[in-house]
Amino acid sequence: MAALRSQNRQMFWRIVRRLLGANRGRLFFILLALGAGAAVTAALLNLQIDAKRRITTEFRTFGPNIVISPRGSGDSPRFLDESFFTRIPDRNNLGGVAKAEFLYGIVNVSVARQGQERPVSDAINTRAILVGYVHSDFGANQVLPPGLINAEETWKPVSSLRCAVGEKVASALKMSRDDGIWLRNGPQSYSIYASVLPSTGGPEDNQVFLYLDLAQRLLGQPHRISLIQLRVPGSAEQIGRFVERLQPELGDAEGRPIRQFTEGEAKIYSRISGLLTATVVIVLLLTGLCVMAAMTNVAMERRNDVGLMKAIGGATRRVLRLFLAEAALLGFAGGVIGAAAGIFLSMWLGKQVFGVAAQPRLIVYPVAVVLTMIVAILSAYPLRRLASIRPASIFRGEA
Amino acid sequence: MFLRLVADSFTRRPRRKVLTAAALSLGMAVVTAALSVSLDVGDRLASEFRSLGANLLVTPQADSLPLEIGGVDYRPVNAGAYLPEADLPKIKTVFWHNNIIAFAPVLEVSAALPRVTYGDGRQSVPELQTPLIGTWASNRVPLPDGGVFVTGIAKTNPWFHVEGKWFSDEGRLERIEMPPMGHSYLPAPPECVVGEKLAARRKIRAGDQVVVSVATADNSQSMQPCDVTGILSSGGSEDEAVLMPLASVQRLADKPGQYRKVYVSALTKPEDEFARRDPKTMKQDEFERWSCSPYVSSIAYSIKQVLPGTDVRVIRRVAEGEGTVLTRVRALLWMVTFAALLAAALAVGASAAASVIERRTEIGLMKALGAGSGTVGFLLAAEQLVLAFVGGGIGYSLGTLLARLVGQKIFGVAPAPSVLVLVAVLALAAGVTLLGSAIPLRRASRYEPAPILRGE
Repeated sequence: MAALRSQNRQMFWRIVRRLLGANRGRLFFILLALGAGAAVTAALLNLQIDAKRRITTEFRTFGPNIVISPRGSGDSPRFLDESFFTRIPDRNNLGGVAKAEFLYGIVNVSVARQGQERPVSDAINTRAILVGYVHSDFGANQVLPPGLINAEETWKPVSSLRCAVGEKVASALKMSRDDGIWLRNGPQSYSIYASVLPSTGGPEDNQVFLYLDLAQRLLGQPHRISLIQLRVPGSAEQIGRFVERLQPELGDAEGRPIRQFTEGEAKIYSRISGLLTATVVIVLLLTGLCVMAAMTNVAMERRNDVGLMKAIGGATRRVLRLFLAEAALLGFAGGVIGAAAGIFLSMWLGKQVFGVAAQPRLIVYPVAVVLTMIVAILSAYPLRRLASIRPASIFRGEA
Repeated sequence: MFLRLVADSFTRRPRRKVLTAAALSLGMAVVTAALSVSLDVGDRLASEFRSLGANLLVTPQADSLPLEIGGVDYRPVNAGAYLPEADLPKIKTVFWHNNIIAFAPVLEVSAALPRVTYGDGRQSVPELQTPLIGTWASNRVPLPDGGVFVTGIAKTNPWFHVEGKWFSDEGRLERIEMPPMGHSYLPAPPECVVGEKLAARRKIRAGDQVVVSVATADNSQSMQPCDVTGILSSGGSEDEAVLMPLASVQRLADKPGQYRKVYVSALTKPEDEFARRDPKTMKQDEFERWSCSPYVSSIAYSIKQVLPGTDVRVIRRVAEGEGTVLTRVRALLWMVTFAALLAAALAVGASAAASVIERRTEIGLMKALGAGSGTVGFLLAAEQLVLAFVGGGIGYSLGTLLARLVGQKIFGVAPAPSVLVLVAVLALAAGVTLLGSAIPLRRASRYEPAPILRGE
């Protein structure tokens, strides 16, 4: 009995092998269709996981998304202690947190001439907001205007006595290029070399940027800051959770997400990920269609074979099992080859679209293979028509 | 005879043909859906990006530097320049007026709240300094062409949430009962919205009344009681402020018909190399091309043309972030659409190939009767074309429905059916079916009729 069964099984696989080898052209075509489907599916799945992260990263151009400021009344400007800055974690579970601390004050700015000992009263001057700042090494241009970070690069290696003036401040002083300026607050004054920043359209255009320690001395506010700005990666909820976890550390300061960007980003992000999901579904549907077309073809050609199998006593169920095994095998082969190709495809696509190759995710591979097998088995549906074949009429040559 | 043969092949085996047509129309439906959504997605996402707020800021050219820290401008009221409110409707007359979806003028002054009267009649201690923002909530602006444009800060800053309701921009009349004579209508105090942090500190709720006081240029105080209609939560410095209708703040600050800056929210096309060039250095035709593209910089330029004496700035953070994300997503979607197109072409081509292969006997017979390869090919091509047009047409209508579903689901707006997509889909259907049948036909033409007819 056992021998018979093992012989049966041997015969089963032999038939499957023969069926697969019967028409090389078609085998190639079906494998191509399944492989292409698997490739596109794997590529899109991988890209979708990656694109979500990339797009959230892309949002960093919108600038900071959390502000930490002193709690309390708006009656008088209040300050935070510098030490708050170091208490903020440098990263969350999604990546680095970009941080910057600021001290604001109002100073008098005037153009400096060579050899001046102190600001001259008749020089062009204006009152402007002085921003003392310090940023973390990570992602400085996410919390400060990119123009300022570029200017900092040009200050190296001597960066001690440099500052940057916003475009409107520069035009108020009739500065057309980098030049020396005086910064004055009461009796305190500094002569300093200033870079002109490109216009940002924001409040930065009206501000003068100076390193925090100098600004603290000029404004007479040692070790004090006005606020801290952060760019935390992640969705609106993740940012909200970050603020909640941070709050106990902050004491009388208060952290709050900048809703303008967190809310807008969340909306846009959900739209984009919806679009990507829709396309993945569409492509899977198409792959199924493709394989189904090929399988219909197979069903047409196999009528004689099935007629013969039935005539010599093959039960319908066993015949169908034969074809299902064939489909599953094809799906597996197509999936294994296609999904591998797809992951490379997604890396290339990622490079094209986002400039960074998408990271291959191992989970995508088995998922794509299984999906392809399911599609292959489901699209073997036309083969069901073979079950209704009556051997006699086939052999008579009737359609 | 030719037409009869074609007609015959359809009537003789209708089921086969229906199957092929079904495969074709399904494939084409998917293509239509993918194409319609991709074509539409740029506009849809661009308007989605407007939830990030204004991307243009208009300020007076001759303005002194604003001294604004934490939403409070430390300049005296008489410092700095103002712009005339009467010019504002001109913003909607620029070439890209349809792309301008909202604007909101702002007049900010430093104010005090000497008194808050709660609903139960109790009164509070004064608040010494608070920013007062005069703006439009959603004002009806009459346009020069006779239309009306409803705009205001509720549209430019969609992340502003008001618990209660926004103030009304127009002056209100209050019905006063005067028992012996009946009643009379008198101007009611204006309405206002209070920022949530200020409201929490002073325990102000909708329905309370606050008195707003502003120091005017001649060192006197002008006061105005106003009814609180809502509590504003913005996540920004506005949470500390009082927002009132522009007209009321103008009266308080003695700046009738004037404002400090206007935020404009416009639908734009992501900037490329060309858009970043200085318009002054462009040649005539380049300049025309530049001003006829809805780049944020060219819209800024056209607004400057209609509002003399202003400085129109692109808010770079918003505009550039929008530009990069839009470009990326568009590129991604086009690649994905292309992949879907390829897969659909493969599917349709395969079913076309199958329909030719199964007719090998027929082809053999025709050849045996003396038909040349060309005639047979022509006959089959004609059949496939009929199928392609029928299948493509059905697929297009199915796909439009699918696109409608996807668009509705994701953006809440269905993409408009486009003729371009119809043409593309029909062309693709014809091309793919012909190509799909050409390959087996070539193989068939190499066969001798005799073995085929013998059934080998």
